[in-house]
Amino acid sequence: MGIDRRTFIQLVTGGVVGSLFTPVIWKSLDDASIWSQNWSWIPRLKYGAITEQASLSKFGASPCAEIVKSVGGSPYLTKGNGENEMSKGGVDPISASGPQLMYSPSRINGPMKKVGDGKYESISWEDAEKMLSEKLAAVKGQKGKLAVVSGDNTGTTSEVLSGFATEMGSSDCYLMPSEEQGAAVALSSMGGKGQIGYDLDNADLVLFVGADAMDSWGPVVRNQRVYSESRPTGGEITTKYFYAGSFLNNTAAASDKWIPIVPGTGAIFCLGLAFHLLKSGASASVSDFDDFKTLVMSRFTPDKVEKAIGVTGADMAAIAKQLSSASAPVVVAGSEFGAGAGAADVIAASAVNMLLGRINEKGGMKILPNLPKAVESAIDRSELAAKDFAGYLAGIAAGKVATPDVMMVYAANPVYSLPQTEAMASALAKVPFLVSFSTFMDETASTADLIMPNPTSYECFEDAQTPYGVGAAMLSACAPVTEPMYNSKATVDVILSVASGMGIDLGYESAELLFQAKAEKAGADWDSLIEGAAFVSDSTESGSIKFAASVLSKAVSMPKGGEIAFAPYSKLINGSSTMAIPPLNVVLVSKNELYGKDLLVQVNAKTAKKLGKSEGAKVKLSGAGGECVARIHINEGVMNDVIAAPLGFGHTAWDVYSSGKGDNISKILTVSTESGTGLSVWTSSFVSIA
Amino acid sequence: MQHIEFDTKWTMVVDIDKCTGCGACMVSCQAENNIAPMEQGSNKLKTLTWLLVYELNNGKDFPNREVAYLPRPCMQCGHPACVPVCPVVATTKDEEGGIVSQIYPRCIGCRYCMAACPYHARYFGWLDPVWPGGMDKALSPTTSTRPRGVVEKCNFCHSRLLNARERARNEGMDPNKLPDGWYKPACLEGCPTGAISFGDSKNPEHKVHELIKDPNAFRILESIGMEPQVYYISRRDWVREQSDNHLAEDKH
Repeated sequence: MGIDRRTFIQLVTGGVVGSLFTPVIWKSLDDASIWSQNWSWIPRLKYGAITEQASLSKFGASPCAEIVKSVGGSPYLTKGNGENEMSKGGVDPISASGPQLMYSPSRINGPMKKVGDGKYESISWEDAEKMLSEKLAAVKGQKGKLAVVSGDNTGTTSEVLSGFATEMGSSDCYLMPSEEQGAAVALSSMGGKGQIGYDLDNADLVLFVGADAMDSWGPVVRNQRVYSESRPTGGEITTKYFYAGSFLNNTAAASDKWIPIVPGTGAIFCLGLAFHLLKSGASASVSDFDDFKTLVMSRFTPDKVEKAIGVTGADMAAIAKQLSSASAPVVVAGSEFGAGAGAADVIAASAVNMLLGRINEKGGMKILPNLPKAVESAIDRSELAAKDFAGYLAGIAAGKVATPDVMMVYAANPVYSLPQTEAMASALAKVPFLVSFSTFMDETASTADLIMPNPTSYECFEDAQTPYGVGAAMLSACAPVTEPMYNSKATVDVILSVASGMGIDLGYESAELLFQAKAEKAGADWDSLIEGAAFVSDSTESGSIKFAASVLSKAVSMPKGGEIAFAPYSKLINGSSTMAIPPLNVVLVSKNELYGKDLLVQVNAKTAKKLGKSEGAKVKLSGAGGECVARIHINEGVMNDVIAAPLGFGHTAWDVYSSGKGDNISKILTVSTESGTGLSVWTSSFVSIA
Repeated sequence: MQHIEFDTKWTMVVDIDKCTGCGACMVSCQAENNIAPMEQGSNKLKTLTWLLVYELNNGKDFPNREVAYLPRPCMQCGHPACVPVCPVVATTKDEEGGIVSQIYPRCIGCRYCMAACPYHARYFGWLDPVWPGGMDKALSPTTSTRPRGVVEKCNFCHSRLLNARERARNEGMDPNKLPDGWYKPACLEGCPTGAISFGDSKNPEHKVHELIKDPNAFRILESIGMEPQVYYISRRDWVREQSDNHLAEDKH
């Protein structure tokens, strides 16, 4: 019997059908799929007991109380700590990746000394401390020879640094510029003492003027939690939120009303509201009320305000009416990007709060006491917050201030994050011996002569007192969650050790004892703090504040107009002034802010037409301090004649996740001096576009 | 099309009006589910994010522009389009609770499921996952790592459901009747504004049971009949209109 065509087809068909019913093919496909994925380099998971411990994250712009989850003793995840009032159970997008940041490729593995331009050699802690001690011994007791700057406004570590500077005979101890600086100067100008806070929890109408409360102003996570509590999902809204600013940022997006105003004109907006309140009979029994009233009624009339900021008199009157008819309104002023707004905006907002009778009232603006100092020789917190580091460096850059021989930089990155960045960096480059106490290899550490790595807050004791903006004085602390990953040493311990060797007694032998003492002096229970609870004080400063009309009179001037105003904005997704884009945040960066390596800046269609630019057009932005390269993105969430641009790009150090992406727009911010306070300000910057 | 009803329906409700677009949910999701960091984030066709926060706007010019943020996990559809197209049965919806699973070792990377998903909730691993330095020491023990070449997606942090069930068994309770709040995905825990609610929408004791009946509650692309287990709430008309791909010229 031969095989004919019919038989052949039957055999083939039978074979095919048969193969479908045999599991061999399917099993082989399944196995091949598994084998092909079973690659040797794919990491295996670590198993073990899963534990949770309260901690404090200091990665973001404001301290965040968290619960850190660990497996077999290794932290891997964080979640909010609902038991802690400081952040009320939320996490921010930087702190959310805290455990991963512990292993960031940018971590500094151990102390290093500079041996050439950009070249470092690892040294022992003993050698590093000896090197620092020798340099410090040479400047001890000499004014102007030692400068210290800290990027941690809330930690007692900054007290140790300022106490040490004082004992060394230096008056040049600073905090990096922040919202707190303008508020501290404002409160001092108004004759108050302590710290300004806002009881958002109990307000029924919150008007943010500039202050980007959901992303860069104050205790961001706490602000978000409070906002959330006032509008339960599926329930009634109990607090209205208004936002006045030049850009439709995250705070504006979440608010019930966005009031577009020209960048840097928060004080004018507030005084415009004061006009309507005064007109309707509002007053305050304060010594300079008459001066204030005269100032407002003559210089901030509706027509002048409309010309300056673009809001009509009718709209201003309506907002003022809503404020005065609310039962617990509060006005909060600040910068749209976390620094550089000066004091006038805060004074003007305080004036509105005073006219509304909202000072030290439930749901109003609070004057909080500073917690007692742990280090006797430390500068008073309010005084430290008011000191002007940008002005100091600008003075060095201009040759008007003597360059110190030694500068110590703790948890800060001034080479990257200051306005007029290139000029500021050149001033830092003049310092003969720059020491960086940094956790990460940032731009400042990359130029330092000595690097003394500080561990993350998961690896050491840490604390945080009354972050600027919260409505009550408070204190949180944490104990280490894990052993230090690298050869790092807490900066407090380094300073205490170096000070001791130089015969300076700061009163403590270790970081743990220092933080415990701080808690004790504040009246807090140390054990409760490190278990995750926050100490909260309900006291406020007694005594009234005045309008500081004479300061307002000098500090607030009407913009000339006719130029393209520059409106930087800050998003925690893109890092903060101390943190570059964390590795896990790279995929979150908007395609409308960074495309490939190009930075995108935003204008609305009308402004784009005026500039003759279309979507995607490459432009060069020039300001007083430098130039930036970017592409145009059309966004109708930007005011006319305003160009909005994201901060956080253009890093030159760090790692592949943040370096070489976009441009650093801080370069083109223009630093000027606020009349009446002498404070350096940079919210009113203008750019030319080519 | 496959449609199986279970006694439990794990449901997510996202309050769009409360989302500030901060991104903490996306970071928490990556940390919980061992999604490797990527060096470049601009190419959104190749980035891998199980949860994605979209920016919506009302389409109006300045000064009438409004913005909203829409976090989009896998919708865990009642009629999942991805399931019937998978040639190797790597994705199914067959467990109590209605979570659409994805079995990575079985996936052959054909991406039919991605083509079928109307929500773009499935992601193909184009690149080798690399945890730099010692970052692999911070891997979560809950989710296996995946090589490139397979499709991944949100599973409502399914391992947390297993943990919650185990806890219930240990406490002598019915593992299929978990109390409200025992099972929370990582994005919910990370969200600072509490925009995300989660629970069993068939259980009257769970908050989401009522939330999905809110007059402002809706589901995305409801008209195509996928029956998603993710609901959204917004008081804004324009947000709700965009949810169903509403075009200006369409009649309501």
